[in-house]
Amino acid sequence: MRAPAVISKGLFALGLVVGIALGLAITRLAGPLQRDNAEPWQLRHEHRDYYGVAVALEHAHRGDLTVALAKLISLRPATDPVTALAESACRLGGSGYLASTSGIQALRTVTQFTREQGRAGCAEELLPPITTPKPATNEEGKAYAEAQGTLVPTKPPLAEAIQSTRFVAPTQSAQRRFEAISLRSFCAVDRPAIIEVSVVDYLGRGLPGQPIRARWGAQEDTFISGLKGERGLAYADFQMDPDTDYSLDMPAAAEPVATSLRTGICYEGNRESLKSYRVVFAER
Amino acid sequence: MRRFLLSLTLGLLLGIVAGAVIGWLNPPAAARNSRLGDLAQPHRDDYAIMIAAGYAHDGDLAGALERLRHLEVGDLAGTLRATTERIINSGSRELGDIRVLARLAADLGGATPIMAPFLVGEGG
Repeated sequence: MRAPAVISKGLFALGLVVGIALGLAITRLAGPLQRDNAEPWQLRHEHRDYYGVAVALEHAHRGDLTVALAKLISLRPATDPVTALAESACRLGGSGYLASTSGIQALRTVTQFTREQGRAGCAEELLPPITTPKPATNEEGKAYAEAQGTLVPTKPPLAEAIQSTRFVAPTQSAQRRFEAISLRSFCAVDRPAIIEVSVVDYLGRGLPGQPIRARWGAQEDTFISGLKGERGLAYADFQMDPDTDYSLDMPAAAEPVATSLRTGICYEGNRESLKSYRVVFAER
Repeated sequence: MRRFLLSLTLGLLLGIVAGAVIGWLNPPAAARNSRLGDLAQPHRDDYAIMIAAGYAHDGDLAGALERLRHLEVGDLAGTLRATTERIINSGSRELGDIRVLARLAADLGGATPIMAPFLVGEGG
């Protein structure tokens, strides 16, 4: 005669299924993968692509292939890391990344890196052609061509590289010209004595990273567009002191605005504040 | 009744352990959906250093800003300044990393006295 089983298989299976579901739910809610604790391999596609671009940019500066490959491997790509980077460049090339000069320059760096490692992707076909510079006829001409970034020099020492980029780098601001197309004063209790500047391209799109200079007396200060992300790419501002006349321009890119800017008492409704200004520099 | 409870409890306990182990070892799809701003601090530092090195290479301040923006911090200049100072104080990175970070922070208007030694000899 068989003794009755101590455990019911059906109930045990039911408990097991419910338990697995509970266990999975616990790891989803309180697992090891939380915000601000993510690893590069956990990045979403788009951000993996940005990370890959950063790796290529760093490699262009340092020339350390081992470090670059280690960082690409940290993304745990499905294929070999360089092919994955070429695929990233391809995706970025087709996603509007090439709408800016910076994007084009960065993707060129990426494709150069992948090409050097014997991999190619569609990004190379998506990139606009490089304009060929006029051959330099003398040392000055050669130096100028190098300054424009049209030749690819061997990697300079760090200090030299930084120095060169500070003064002759082919930045957008060095190539672009702007003019102040709008200057208006306004009165706001929450924004007293402030100069709000917007820097836009010829299509009206905000341009980050553009230096704007305020000068008063023998002093000056430069501030940069796009640093206050919540106010948009075009935005920069400067706090004025009372009883001071300010001149505003963009170094080597835009003439000073026609009138000097000076704050003074103003009223928003019946509340007293200090006059502020809104200036728009547009690419021409 | 005892048999009923024993079977269910045993199954439940084993299931929870198995589910937790499976969940721990196989991250959910969402875990591969992080943003650069979600990275752990050492990786965020890595990213900032890579961008700064890129800036040292191409001098494209607008591009560097655009890339730093992916970290989704409100005050980019302030955050970069704080990151640079923290790294200098902790001595956790190589000199080359600190120099490129300090240069980018300075060019974004965030140079502080502690960065000065790392900006010396670079043309001002």
